[in-house]
Amino acid sequence: MSTRIRRVVVVGNGVAGLTAADSLRASGFDGELTVVGDEPHAAYSRPALSKALLLDGAGAAHELPPATHGATELLGVRARGLDLERRLVTLGDGTELPYDRLVIATGARARRLSGLPEEHTLRGLDDALALRDRLAASPSVVVAGGGPLGMEIASACLAAGCEVTLVSQGVPLIGHLGPYLAGVFGEAARERGLTVVETGAARVERDAGGVRVVLDDGAVVEAELLVSAAGDVPNTEWLAGTGLAAGGVVRVDARGLARPGVAAAGDLAAFPTPYGPRRVPLWNSAVEQAKVAAAALVRGDGAPPLRFQPYFWTEQFGLSLKAVGYLPVDGEPEHLEPGLMRWSRAGVAVALNHRIPIPRLRRAAA
Amino acid sequence: MKIVLDRPRCEGHGLCEEAAPELMHLDDDGELVLDREEIGDAEVPLASAAVRVCPVAALRLA
Repeated sequence: MSTRIRRVVVVGNGVAGLTAADSLRASGFDGELTVVGDEPHAAYSRPALSKALLLDGAGAAHELPPATHGATELLGVRARGLDLERRLVTLGDGTELPYDRLVIATGARARRLSGLPEEHTLRGLDDALALRDRLAASPSVVVAGGGPLGMEIASACLAAGCEVTLVSQGVPLIGHLGPYLAGVFGEAARERGLTVVETGAARVERDAGGVRVVLDDGAVVEAELLVSAAGDVPNTEWLAGTGLAAGGVVRVDARGLARPGVAAAGDLAAFPTPYGPRRVPLWNSAVEQAKVAAAALVRGDGAPPLRFQPYFWTEQFGLSLKAVGYLPVDGEPEHLEPGLMRWSRAGVAVALNHRIPIPRLRRAAA
Repeated sequence: MKIVLDRPRCEGHGLCEEAAPELMHLDDDGELVLDREEIGDAEVPLASAAVRVCPVAALRLA
């Protein structure tokens, strides 16, 4: 089959796009491969941006081994449109890229709370480097968002010597991890000096003194630096008119296909899970989706479907958590050994400040 | 080819073991052990998958 595929275009150069390109080659595709990336950088490790990179002044924790797929890389340019009938991707600079097979891997961007330039977000490498530069002067910081990203940013800001207030809709992390783990992290955060303000909806606005966060009761939180971490928005605008992005996500089947010959992988793809079609914007999710999708494009129905188990990790406030299974999880865990716990009915196992191979963690969860 | 481990970068996630259990594993202390360093052409795809899945780029092929 691969002999009939001459041109493959991968739109997106995050780990999903990179892995898709690698996997196309590994599956035997030896034709013309083009990778389009909207950032001017080589692919990097996004999880590192809010962890080691923010903490380490000069480090390169985000760097990945150089790509070996031999693709033509068009970086610093984004896709503007897609014509499924003509099999044509149009780029922002007007370039038209014809394809026989397509991988859609344009990921997601930070959801912003305002249009104000003072509102920092952390999504891409440039965001992280800019934030790291700002933290060098130890400004007071307000972080808007109590998810894992907001908490990692708050932790890094505290480590940089900043006074930090975290504004969260409800208890931080409770919606992502569940009450037990949210309690563990909340305690560690407060012990390290984090001020947590719980609110309903909050908004970001500008006044004479700078930007500030206004809580649902009208109270105001101000700081020298405002960083929001209020979730992500899939980058699907360039798919307008194709019918591929209904509801703002790209629905794919178990082999990562949105249409015959058109795959999607990574943060914008909703794939079948035990809980229905879902986006799972995690590192190993992007990698596994991309491998399956690339194989399906080259090998067709003979390619294996996705067999995916979430793996999530975070490092914050002196705690290192590794988790397998679908979070959040309710109730108290069963403690198997120091640092290792499980919620067996939910199929979740967690290691806390405990180095453990993932295969062992998966066995503990089963 | 050869699999090279940059041990200080390794955080012990073990996604590499999951990708290529024939080539590497984490020991009881969570330290990565390369069971095979020299690999033949047939194992390059497996080793590449292990290299790619590492979120901290602790592995490379040389």
